[in-house]
Amino acid sequence: MSRKRKPVTDIQIAICGSAGDGTIAAGDILKRAMARAGYKVIAFDLYPAEIRGFGKCIARTRITANQVYSMKQKSDVLISLDDSHAIPHVDEVCDYGAIIYEDNPMSKVEEGGHISGHAAPAHIPYGIPFREMSERATGSARSRNMVAVGYIAGLYGMPQKIFHEIVTAKFKGKAAVVTTGNIAAFDAGYEAGAATIRLDFGVLESRSRRRGKADLVMMNGNAATVRGCLDAGIETFFGYPITPATSIMEILAAEMPKTGGRLVQTEDEISAVAAAIGAGYTGARSATATSGPGLALMTEMLGLGTIAEVPSVIFVSQRGGPSTGMPTKTEQSDLNLAVFGVAGDGQRIVLAPTNVEGCYKCAGKAFEMAEQYQTPVIVLLDLYLSNRYEAVAFPEKNPFVRKCSKGVSRRGTGSPYSRYAITDDWVSPRAVPGTEGCQHAITGLEHDVFGRPNDQAHVHEMMSRKRHEKLEAAINHPDITISKRFGDRGKVDVGLLGWGSTFGEILEAMFVAQKEGIKCAAMKVVMLSPFPKPAVVPYLDDCAEVLVPELNYEGQFADLVTSATGRPVNRLNRVPGTPMRVDEILAEIRRLADGAKQMAAE
Amino acid sequence: MTDIKKPVYLEEKLEEVTQSGRLEYRSKSLPTWCPGCGYFSIVEGMTAALNRLQVQPKDTVVVTGIGCASRFPFFVNTYGFHTLHGRALPVATGIKVANEKLTVIAVGGDGDAFAIGGAHIPHAARRNVDMTYVLFVIVIYGLTKGQTSPTSVLGFKTGTSPYENQDAPLNPLMMLLSYGAGWVGQAYAGHPHHLADMIHQAIAHRGFSYLHVLSPCVTFDKTTKTYKNLGVMVRDLPEDHDDSDQMAAMGEAARTEAPAMGVFYQKDRPTLGDGLQEIVKRARGTRTAGKRRAARQAAE
Ligand SMILES: Cc1ncc(C[n+]2csc(CCOP(=O)(O)OP(=O)(O)O)c2C)c(N)n1
Ligand code: SF4
Repeated sequence: MSRKRKPVTDIQIAICGSAGDGTIAAGDILKRAMARAGYKVIAFDLYPAEIRGFGKCIARTRITANQVYSMKQKSDVLISLDDSHAIPHVDEVCDYGAIIYEDNPMSKVEEGGHISGHAAPAHIPYGIPFREMSERATGSARSRNMVAVGYIAGLYGMPQKIFHEIVTAKFKGKAAVVTTGNIAAFDAGYEAGAATIRLDFGVLESRSRRRGKADLVMMNGNAATVRGCLDAGIETFFGYPITPATSIMEILAAEMPKTGGRLVQTEDEISAVAAAIGAGYTGARSATATSGPGLALMTEMLGLGTIAEVPSVIFVSQRGGPSTGMPTKTEQSDLNLAVFGVAGDGQRIVLAPTNVEGCYKCAGKAFEMAEQYQTPVIVLLDLYLSNRYEAVAFPEKNPFVRKCSKGVSRRGTGSPYSRYAITDDWVSPRAVPGTEGCQHAITGLEHDVFGRPNDQAHVHEMMSRKRHEKLEAAINHPDITISKRFGDRGKVDVGLLGWGSTFGEILEAMFVAQKEGIKCAAMKVVMLSPFPKPAVVPYLDDCAEVLVPELNYEGQFADLVTSATGRPVNRLNRVPGTPMRVDEILAEIRRLADGAKQMAAE
Repeated sequence: MTDIKKPVYLEEKLEEVTQSGRLEYRSKSLPTWCPGCGYFSIVEGMTAALNRLQVQPKDTVVVTGIGCASRFPFFVNTYGFHTLHGRALPVATGIKVANEKLTVIAVGGDGDAFAIGGAHIPHAARRNVDMTYVLFVIVIYGLTKGQTSPTSVLGFKTGTSPYENQDAPLNPLMMLLSYGAGWVGQAYAGHPHHLADMIHQAIAHRGFSYLHVLSPCVTFDKTTKTYKNLGVMVRDLPEDHDDSDQMAAMGEAARTEAPAMGVFYQKDRPTLGDGLQEIVKRARGTRTAGKRRAARQAAE
């Protein structure tokens, strides 16, 4: 091969196998090693929906030199650890991409059962005897996945030593032979990969290992959420398992007690949020985590949190709905429930991070806000964000404020304590149980300043106003991005407006459109309620056309924008259960840009 | 247990109550219940018990759901949380988990507890949350003005059962015993001194205690569990009742035609708080063990 290998800066590798093949573990090692090597990494794993032994797993990892914001539509490499699962994914390999597979199957393969028969002419097949190599290196076929990771690492000239470090760290605490065996299998693969004649592959451009002071950590959205909780000083957590939020509770269960935190698995979501509010009432930082069906059960209790003005934090990772819907598929269709789901006028704070680092920030800030504005705060994630891995640089100094409560000054005045006193910022000094001389009862009934039930017109009007006005300050809460504009400054032909995990795809589409010469910008909105009108309206003023891509059928965010600003927007709604396609957003941008140009010409 | 019937003079009574210190536990709000409602004697019993136990009002939280009974927090001078219909127990659990130092008392009616809130009771009992659940049992929905409740007897005519109730009533005491509640007792609003004593014992018990208080709804139940009927139905538990014998307690609880007053069952076992403490210890233990191992390896 005379062609000189050029350095590549963007590869996406998909590893596909059945549960038990070590597919996810292989992807995990790959992404952690590449993050440690200084690359930007985004990864999104797919687990089987059904709990049967041999469900399909896919670990997709995108490795780049520069920051990217979403997965690619097509992968550059597909590694098959199980052909029956991988064959349907041959399509996702790009032209001149590689398919790497077992070329020495254990038993006779049926007609059409081998992946090599499905590769397109533009694909480059690499048949490797994974099983044999694993057996030779470790005496067992179990390390096939490591041979595969080693092979791809060798093929791309990835730093071998870093893989050794990651493998060693992963199996820390297990018997030493586990580590040595896995490293031997990796090395066997690596040698084979490095010795392979490449047809079209480049070598991964090398990176400096460390940029700045902060270490890059590979983490998914749920784990980053947990880290935010811990850094914000979470004291109690109550939850009921539900995909895709469960791992938040599972990681907290392991971590919280180390600092004296208390976690209880409750009998349902109603009790989970009830207990979180009970704990919040005592002054403790408390939270729960759920998905759409659980949030539906929680709405009555969240209304109580609003009217009784008790802090609590609710993490909601959305999945396909309605009802039990699609538990292992991603969607952004619980916005309405999160923002509006309550009996009566019950506005609350809703934050929706757009990436893994945002999960950390929003999680921690949610505790501050809940305490400061004395209200429930919902942090809205989705399956794609919960399970998506990104290399994140955490701040060295804990960025969260531990005490934001407006407490009572020393009591003993003899006059009764008024829990709901009307103040300048509409937030009342709060006394928690144990405070001498402030005994009072709080209630879900409308009440006067002392908390006593009262349904007179002027009382309900004043208290309704109090509960809404006090939240307005949240859109200026310090040290958190409430909304942010990217792309071209000033007037643009097409302005994208997005929220949640889809904003990654939106940015990618915007970059391509800009390269094509379209005047284009994108704004993310992190705080969905109260709606940050002062930032969004001027942006809408700058855009000839506004496009709102989101993963729901109804255009829930588009509705929110229109109802808050009175401006019409263009919608792009998709419900495939998988992330939004960048090319679809791009096609819409082009169409709108053409229209905007024509309008300008007329 | 029988209250001595002697004339009561208002001044004497007032003097006695003021002297007792009980008023410290009463709020300035007057109860909104119908005159004659059995719930009044429960407030009296509660304040007397708290006074005897000398728990500080500032360290006491009364948590309720929704119903006539659930208005309770407004009438006592403690911290109080009047929550949602059926949700007193999970809110109270959160409060206790977050602050073990508080004395937590949940109060409710039987619809609140066994209809809408039925899912929570087994779990509060099995986790042994260290709190007291005082249930005011009228056999009808009071606040919503007279519909059948889970303890309404067969044949009871109410707003929602104009052709007579066809649904068999629950037996809450048997349920609580089988859920593993650590303290189960029964009292009657018509016997206030005994009631106060039972509330006292229930609060003093470390763990989840359930006190079932029979109480007449003078407004909506004129036929079944009235003062007149309950007065003749109730009995004392047998002298030789062994309150560590769960099966014997079950047997007594099964006799619904003659509700027995007293402590059916009590047993000490680790509370939810104990369990959470243990988890913290283990989590920290593994960490220090890990450190020790690391130190040993470093030394080698
Ligand atoms: C979710 C919900 N459903 C229904 C109601 C209406 N409601 C209020 S109190 C009550 C029943 C009260 O009966 P019980 O719990 O036995 O208490 P009591 O009034 O008899 O003391 C009902 C149905 C409510 N407040 N909330
Ligand atoms: S309706 Fe019945 S239970 Fe409610 S306050 Fe009146 S008498 Fe008591």
